[in-house]
Amino acid sequence: MAERLLHTEEIDKYFKVAGGMLKAVNHISIDIYKGETFGLVGESGCGKSTLGRVLMGIYPPTGGIITYNGETVNLRNAKTRRKYAKKAQIIFQDPYASLDPRMTVGHIISEGMEIHDMYDKHRRTERIVELLELVGLNKEHANRFPHEFSGGQRQRIGIARALAVEPEFIVCDEPISALDVSIQSQIVNLLYDLQQKFNLTYLFIAHDLNIVKYISDRVGVMYLGNIVELASSDNLYGNTLHPYSQALLSSVPVPDPKREAQKKRIILTGDVPSPINTPPGCNFAGRCPKVYDLCHEQAPVLKEVQPHHFVACHLAG
Amino acid sequence: MSKILDVKDLHVSFDTYAGEVKAVRGVSFYLEQGEVLAIVGESGCGKSVTAQTLMRLNPEPPARIPYGEINLCGHDIIAATEKEMQAIRGKDAAMIFQDPMTCLNPTMPVGKQLAEAIRRHQNVSSKETAKKVVELLELVKIPNPGQRARQYPHEYSGGMRQRAMIAMAVICNPKLLIADEPTTALDVTIQAQIMDLLADVKEKTGTAIILITHDLGVVAGLANRVAVMYGGRIVETADVDDIFYRSAHPYTTALLNSLPNPETDRKPKAGRDPEIDRDTESGQDSEIDRDTGTDRGIERLVSIPGSPPDLLAPPVGCPFASRCNKTMQICREKMPPYFTVGAGHQSACWLLHSDCPKTDSVN
Repeated sequence: MAERLLHTEEIDKYFKVAGGMLKAVNHISIDIYKGETFGLVGESGCGKSTLGRVLMGIYPPTGGIITYNGETVNLRNAKTRRKYAKKAQIIFQDPYASLDPRMTVGHIISEGMEIHDMYDKHRRTERIVELLELVGLNKEHANRFPHEFSGGQRQRIGIARALAVEPEFIVCDEPISALDVSIQSQIVNLLYDLQQKFNLTYLFIAHDLNIVKYISDRVGVMYLGNIVELASSDNLYGNTLHPYSQALLSSVPVPDPKREAQKKRIILTGDVPSPINTPPGCNFAGRCPKVYDLCHEQAPVLKEVQPHHFVACHLAG
Repeated sequence: MSKILDVKDLHVSFDTYAGEVKAVRGVSFYLEQGEVLAIVGESGCGKSVTAQTLMRLNPEPPARIPYGEINLCGHDIIAATEKEMQAIRGKDAAMIFQDPMTCLNPTMPVGKQLAEAIRRHQNVSSKETAKKVVELLELVKIPNPGQRARQYPHEYSGGMRQRAMIAMAVICNPKLLIADEPTTALDVTIQAQIMDLLADVKEKTGTAIILITHDLGVVAGLANRVAVMYGGRIVETADVDDIFYRSAHPYTTALLNSLPNPETDRKPKAGRDPEIDRDTESGQDSEIDRDTGTDRGIERLVSIPGSPPDLLAPPVGCPFASRCNKTMQICREKMPPYFTVGAGHQSACWLLHSDCPKTDSVN
């Protein structure tokens, strides 16, 4: 296996809310390797974006340890966080809300370089042009404002901004969800090309399972703050072991009428329960078609049931 | 089977400060009893405007219908007055919207809202109405319907709100149900539940459905026929199998190819035309080496360069001409007419003209 870039040990992120404690991320231990794309899927409210933001240092974790390149990073410390931000960047979901409407595109891109004191002014201007061309825009675009661009172009600006500080690790938080189908593939191809060129490591968060399968080397499935299954992309989709992952994958509509007619769908009853004050036992027990007594008593832990295939279910392994 | 809806050469424009936005530019389609027609397209292609015009839901002005004909269950929709429309809405045709929270009244219990709609169209006693409310909630599989009827929309989850919307839409057994992106705001597992429910409701009530969506996966599961819209025009219409397996329009083909195939493993695949992969919006290649795409053994997604046309000044010719990889001179000059490809399969593309030299086939 490749070199380990990021390692988390039992990290938690809890939010205090009226009525109790919201456990958005609960004891998650993952490894992310250099140069890989780690996909994270799950339904809304499962904590996937929170995990991405914790790894970015936007939210300090409630507990647990984050190790980056073998060194423990204390993201509660503002100085460390600032240094860490040069290595880890994020691309947001909404290309309309994530760009300051009063800043020119050039300014948006160079702001990170200014903060991290990279290059002199002349070189920074050169870099802006290089970055714009890299993401498929022109140098004339540097003096324009975000509202003059389409959704796909704005997402390109967001990517250029993330790349400006020459990061190693990029959290892509639903980078294509807000885009039209024909534009989505442009952005996915661009992200892939950039990864090849700069040897970037991605944490790719999305709810579109088809895209995640396409782009990721390994995929983690999240449910109510926990990772319930983690495996290589082909393995997860070809040999799904956790009942939730099975239901999730079977719900994805396939753009093929014949397969769609043959497909057996596992339709879950009910909705995702509230993550506030979750009962003991497996979080999925209330909706699981294969539930039995033990599930209500004891929470399953994520364990390696097959080589490189981790599942948190009493029935697996 | 009889036609319950017949739309001919429909044009819809919006008068804005910037000028006239020609959102729908000559759309014709029909719907038979019990059929599911999917209208597919990207944002801004005119699919929602078309659907809203069927029920005259767009405020006029700014909306305008310069010409066109809509015949819905024998009613002339274009000529109908607002009062006549109020009788048609809900009774002959009903609509389900994308965002159920903004469509339900937050200050009223869900059961009361359903009751209001029942009494608006049917002359029944309040006791019967209450009974019917519970039956409707049962039809859409809301657990504990008696108790749930007394709750407010904010106490419902997203999926349940959409169920309540469906219940409201089927009150009068409409012959036509228009579902405008019914599952876009929902998670996949809930989306599967709602699609299942729509199929079930269709089975039980025999209503025809117009399904408006951008998700081709949803289309494959539910639709009988598909109309693909682009730049305010229907560019291709055919049976669902013809669209997915024998599409004749480059836009449809590109749209299908731009989706990763979920059933294939991530293995290299030879023979994909690298020319299609030019994916910068400005139409020029970015600096990245195009040949690296198969490094890790994955097939590049086929992307469509550029972005959809501006309908303030729509192109004279084919709306897709500027993004198409098979553009010819005529495509930019003249709007292609509909060519018949097979039974019930029509496509607006100059490549299908008998004088056009045959390329390998559009696929």
